[in-house]
Amino acid sequence: MLEALLAGLFNGLIYAAVAVGLALIWGITDVINFAHGEFLMLAMYAAYWLYTLGHVDPTMSAPLVAVLLAFVGFLTYALIIKRLQDGPPMTVILATFGLSLVLRQVAFIAFTPDYRTLPDTWLSGSVSMAGISMGRPSVVTGLIALVMVIALFVLVYRTRWGHALQAVAEDRQVAALVGIPPDRINAQVWMLGSAAVGLAGALLTTFFYVFPSVGTVFALLAFVAVCMGGFGSLAGAVIAGLLIGVIEAMTGYFVAPALKTVSIYVLFILVLWYRPRGLFGRW
Amino acid sequence: MKKNILAGVLASLAMAATLPAHAADKVIRIGAIYPLTGSSASTGQELKEAIDLAVDLINNPHADAGLAGIPMAQGKGLPNLGGAKLQVVYEDSQGKPEVGLADAQRLIDQEHVVALTGAYQSGVTKTASRIAEQRGIPYLNAESSSPDLTERGYKWFFRTTPNDETFIENMMQFLDTVKSVPTTKIAVVYENTDFGVNTYKAVEKFAKKYHRQIVANIAYSANSPSVTAEVQKLSSAKPDVAIFASYVSDAMLFVRTMREAKYAPPVLLANDAGFIDTRFIQEMGPQVQGVLTRDVWATDVTGAKPALKAINDLFKAKYGKELNGNNARSLEGILVLADAINRAGSTDPQAIRKALIATNLNANQVVMPWAGVKFDANGQNSEGSGLILQMDGPGYKTVWPTSYRTDAALPKLPFAWK
Amino acid sequence: MTTQTSVSRKTRHLPVLWAAVIAVLLGLLPFVVKDSFTLQVLLLAIMFGALGASWNLVGGFLGRVSFGHGVFIGSGAYTTLLLLHYANVSPLIGIPLGGLISALLAWVVGGPTLRLSGHYFAMATIALLQIGLLLFTNWDWAGGATGLEAPIRDASWMLLFRTKVPYYRIAVLLAFLTFCATYFLVHSRVGFYWRAVNGDEAAARSLGVPADRYKMLAFVISAGLTGMWGGFFAMYVGFIDPDSLFNLTTSVQIVLVAILGGVGTLIGPWLGAAVLLPLSEGLRVMMGSSGAGMDLLVFGLAILLVTLFLPGGLITLRRRRRGTSGR
Repeated sequence: MLEALLAGLFNGLIYAAVAVGLALIWGITDVINFAHGEFLMLAMYAAYWLYTLGHVDPTMSAPLVAVLLAFVGFLTYALIIKRLQDGPPMTVILATFGLSLVLRQVAFIAFTPDYRTLPDTWLSGSVSMAGISMGRPSVVTGLIALVMVIALFVLVYRTRWGHALQAVAEDRQVAALVGIPPDRINAQVWMLGSAAVGLAGALLTTFFYVFPSVGTVFALLAFVAVCMGGFGSLAGAVIAGLLIGVIEAMTGYFVAPALKTVSIYVLFILVLWYRPRGLFGRW
Repeated sequence: MKKNILAGVLASLAMAATLPAHAADKVIRIGAIYPLTGSSASTGQELKEAIDLAVDLINNPHADAGLAGIPMAQGKGLPNLGGAKLQVVYEDSQGKPEVGLADAQRLIDQEHVVALTGAYQSGVTKTASRIAEQRGIPYLNAESSSPDLTERGYKWFFRTTPNDETFIENMMQFLDTVKSVPTTKIAVVYENTDFGVNTYKAVEKFAKKYHRQIVANIAYSANSPSVTAEVQKLSSAKPDVAIFASYVSDAMLFVRTMREAKYAPPVLLANDAGFIDTRFIQEMGPQVQGVLTRDVWATDVTGAKPALKAINDLFKAKYGKELNGNNARSLEGILVLADAINRAGSTDPQAIRKALIATNLNANQVVMPWAGVKFDANGQNSEGSGLILQMDGPGYKTVWPTSYRTDAALPKLPFAWK
Repeated sequence: MTTQTSVSRKTRHLPVLWAAVIAVLLGLLPFVVKDSFTLQVLLLAIMFGALGASWNLVGGFLGRVSFGHGVFIGSGAYTTLLLLHYANVSPLIGIPLGGLISALLAWVVGGPTLRLSGHYFAMATIALLQIGLLLFTNWDWAGGATGLEAPIRDASWMLLFRTKVPYYRIAVLLAFLTFCATYFLVHSRVGFYWRAVNGDEAAARSLGVPADRYKMLAFVISAGLTGMWGGFFAMYVGFIDPDSLFNLTTSVQIVLVAILGGVGTLIGPWLGAAVLLPLSEGLRVMMGSSGAGMDLLVFGLAILLVTLFLPGGLITLRRRRRGTSGR
């Protein structure tokens, strides 16, 4: 029982880490980034190559990868999103979908479809918690993810800049009227959100395999977490991520592993039934 | 506006339809449907490599005494058809059954192939072979192990590889020879797809027959972000033997998760697939010393017959790696198909089909460690069998049947993490 | 989205006439075009056009984007094949029944989901799709992960043919019916209410529009049509399994087709499918066999380019040509 709970919590932290970047972008700029999973994939490849070619451990290269992804996020915003965000909302969705295909295929062509792992990083090995052995990479990644989430929290809710973000999220035009430049804020949010998923991706390589479609493995759960937590709420996305991890682990252990994913979606529908705006959604 | 639409549609169609259609004269064409993109792309491309080698051996002369007894491998083309060359036309299935269907149609109608082969994944094989059956074109399947493929009552479907029933029975026979650890309680961990479910059903069937019991039935969704729940369930069931049916990605994840959870089943026995993938062996090999797997090929069986060594050396010379159980079978499949077409002496599908039915190759005429190739009434080769290998050192070594075993110290049990 | 007010009665239903003409022409095509690949591409284009048009009722006219419409394809397909497999019921009955079951499913899940706003609704539909996928994967009686196969026979009343041409003709017929259904719905009071709810639900309600009932109607009809196509697809491919039916990529492709062509228009989805399907199939055949994945890359780039330069969808090409007239 405890085993399942612990495993679920740490899995949940990782889902939350991937989701929080998406929550930022979706919540503040109101754009569903279908390419979010591919951002994760790019981050993972970056960390993989930095390790394989440059012998930099992912824990060290994570900040660098975050910066790299921030750049990718900025480019995506400047070249694609900015042009489309004032038009029909579905066009943006379509564009990010096209982008995700392009990124995935570029990775396929450039890196081949082979599955790659990093067998020996600083984090490799097990840790013992309450007599239960768990993988050190996932535990440490989970903890770092927690720190990152708290840092983002402070940033968005306790700083002036964060207040500007929230203002833009509430109403772009009014925010512009009081002197907050919505375009610049949007770009910054994209950079921040992408950096978050970049950090998560780099750390993920310490225990998960990399291949061109690895984004699809995590992306869907990230979307569910953000939605279940409620749009506009960072805390919601994180708590939802944790919930998903725990429910998944518990169902898998006590009921049947084949049904563990169904329980996530059933939980999701139930949450939406009783709270149509997610757990903590603001709009 | 309607004109615009019509123009657009026609333009797109024109582009789609301006694809080369050759006249088949001195070239005999067969179609090959494989997952060249998608999640099984790395395997699909390995299969293509082996098939390309087979075609090369058939068409181009080479001096290799080892292959002397193998029909069609002398580089003379297809002698009974005037030395015509064999050409394989590939189509990417993307791993999807409906794409396989489209590929089969296209290959038959536009590329005018005389036979089809493929498609690795059972679901794709089902739809592609269905088209072949409807059109009366011979279909030779060399790698799909799902038993129900030869239980459909098809007349045009032939399969050289043994299916999961044979393989699981081989596993049971191997377990019977293990005396150092108990082997009665079995747990099956399998992905919830055609491949995994068939593995489980076969284990269910043969466990009973061989007096073993299944203590855990763990189905999981392929490519999950985490398998900790599955591993926990497995360890709490305390099985003697854990049988795995997983592809590369999940195999890697399971190995990692079990290792980190410090859980090692006393006998870790895989049903091929991910565990014999070159990449898996490369990346995870050092960590899974002692893992057992069912396979159809191992590098050390090359010592048993000269043909096996010859074919492996040729493959290694061309691609820099050894053959594995997947692509060795693809290679053999092409040779069998070419042999049948040759014996038919024509490109008439009925003739090829009759020739396939009459196939009777003995142990020295195949490049596989089998007793030969002979199709039963369902189109299933009844002379094939599997091997049980164990990871020892940089690769797998044969453990069973003992006639192929080169290292008498194997198997080393119980399994434990190094 | 034009309302024909000042057009004479004779040409009031012109689009339906045009659709009938196109349908007849397409139906006669196999006499001229024997190439099965082209027919397959046409069939897929027609099917996705119809799926897009059905989706459009909810996604375009009502304004609720659903990414999980594949769940209705699945329910329709399984109903049809299960009835055939276990009760020897002809798909001539099975396909409409599949549509009915899908409509029923929509009615059951519509209650809790339709009161969700945009993004939440979209995600809820994805959740439904995933639940459908996982349920059918674990349901052995329905074939489980191994799937179900239709027998190979020559039985026209069972819709079991040995060639694909009859299926193609059935597709053309079904497509025409789908188009008529969408046309008459949209041009009726139902369609009017849908557009009102799409524009501003609160305002519509305050004006007395029974929003809930009409939202449900859109959802149910859309699901029913989609379900019928699911049944058809099952007979056409002859083999179904949960992975290929409850497929997120297929669901997204339906949305793609509608958005690309022009969401919220009657012709948009057909246009989008007419371009998208030949493009993706043609690319796959031309470049896919090398395994380099170039075909999907070009496909993705094409989508990106269209969105960047034609944000309203392909249908806006017409408006551009006309200059400043029209919206």
